[in-house]
Amino acid sequence: MSKRLAISIVAALAAGVVSPLLRAQTAAPQAAAAEKWNNVPPPLSTYKDKKPSGPAPRRDISGQWDSGFIGAMGAPEHPASVPVGPQPVGRPDETGIAKPLPYTPLGLEALKANKPSRGVREIDSALSNDPANLCDPLGFPYMFLWEFRAIYVVQDPLKVIMINPYHAGVRIIWTDGRPLPKDPDPRWNGYSVGRWVDDYTFVVETTGLNPRSWLDHVGRPHSEQLRVEETYHRVDRDNLTLTMRIIDPKMYTEPWFAMNKFPLHLLPADFDIPELLCSPSENKAYNDLYATPAIREPAK
Amino acid sequence: MAHKLGIVAFVGGLLAFSIPLFAHHGGASFDTTKTVTVKGIVTDFVWTNPHVLLRLDVKEANGTVTNWVVEVWNPVTQTNRGWSRTTFKAGDEVSVDVTAAKNGRPIGMIRGRIVINGTEFKETAAN
Repeated sequence: MSKRLAISIVAALAAGVVSPLLRAQTAAPQAAAAEKWNNVPPPLSTYKDKKPSGPAPRRDISGQWDSGFIGAMGAPEHPASVPVGPQPVGRPDETGIAKPLPYTPLGLEALKANKPSRGVREIDSALSNDPANLCDPLGFPYMFLWEFRAIYVVQDPLKVIMINPYHAGVRIIWTDGRPLPKDPDPRWNGYSVGRWVDDYTFVVETTGLNPRSWLDHVGRPHSEQLRVEETYHRVDRDNLTLTMRIIDPKMYTEPWFAMNKFPLHLLPADFDIPELLCSPSENKAYNDLYATPAIREPAK
Repeated sequence: MAHKLGIVAFVGGLLAFSIPLFAHHGGASFDTTKTVTVKGIVTDFVWTNPHVLLRLDVKEANGTVTNWVVEVWNPVTQTNRGWSRTTFKAGDEVSVDVTAAKNGRPIGMIRGRIVINGTEFKETAAN
């Protein structure tokens, strides 16, 4: 057998063995690609006691982060729910909740004017004056205190961009050293600057927030004086915590924590976060078909 | 088929202490102390925000047909629970446990058991 023939036989045998493998390798990504849209996050229990895949990178909070899901009972540190039993309906204030907030008289008045569809003061959803019920932008920090499920965080040398696909919230946090604006026009998402206080701790300050928005889904108010301070701490490669402090002397007698070391978990880099948008036409159809007919006393 | 349709009510008072309410709204409009089983034929399945809606024609004992509207969460949460926009289709014969509106209208929030064409539909656990 000539050397050339031997090489041809080996090549043919190799092709017969390898090509199915190649097909399998190319087919697998195609199959996986079909799964790469509207991904479902893992149950939160899978994060418990999970060994981190590596140490925290320096000055980096980029990635897709899973918060689990912040439901509708308000700021996680001060949920507007009662400890036991069914939720009461239509209570005028938040008397009886486990960790009441330090409202000023004006703050309490503003709270009562906000009619939520969740929490101890909830009323029929079709009668709520929650800006979210009109498909107004949630704004910040409402977007992190309700429907906070998973976000994209993108970093470049000048800024950090946070994209919340739920209600389409986008925040730009400038890290170029600029000061906060002195007399800003209010914006739904405000004006944010961030700085690294050490290699693993990123602090964000936000002002200039639109007082038309609520703080959370249970109707906590804020004024144009609101300042929000967030502290992101990168624990390791897979874990980030978020602490959020609310400072609004017009509505609250002292600052309070809305979130305290709230855990965020790193999702795979190719995780596709589904959208959840408030469509005015869909919202109207829902109210016409369902929420309005469900009002306890028919509307007059 | 008429004997299979209709509604059956039973008291589920204890459930009110354990069932989570919806993210967008709570139970103010609904009698969360009771669960009602609604059986009927699907006329529409609306896979949109803020809540997914299922419409059912329910034949009452007197022969009249009532169109019920029942809801679950939004498409994202339902997807996480193993639902899709094709979970129900028009013509399906279904039975769903719901918490019904206090005002007596045929409106409710799905709670508990779901049976589609004779097979129980099991949701997956979700956050």
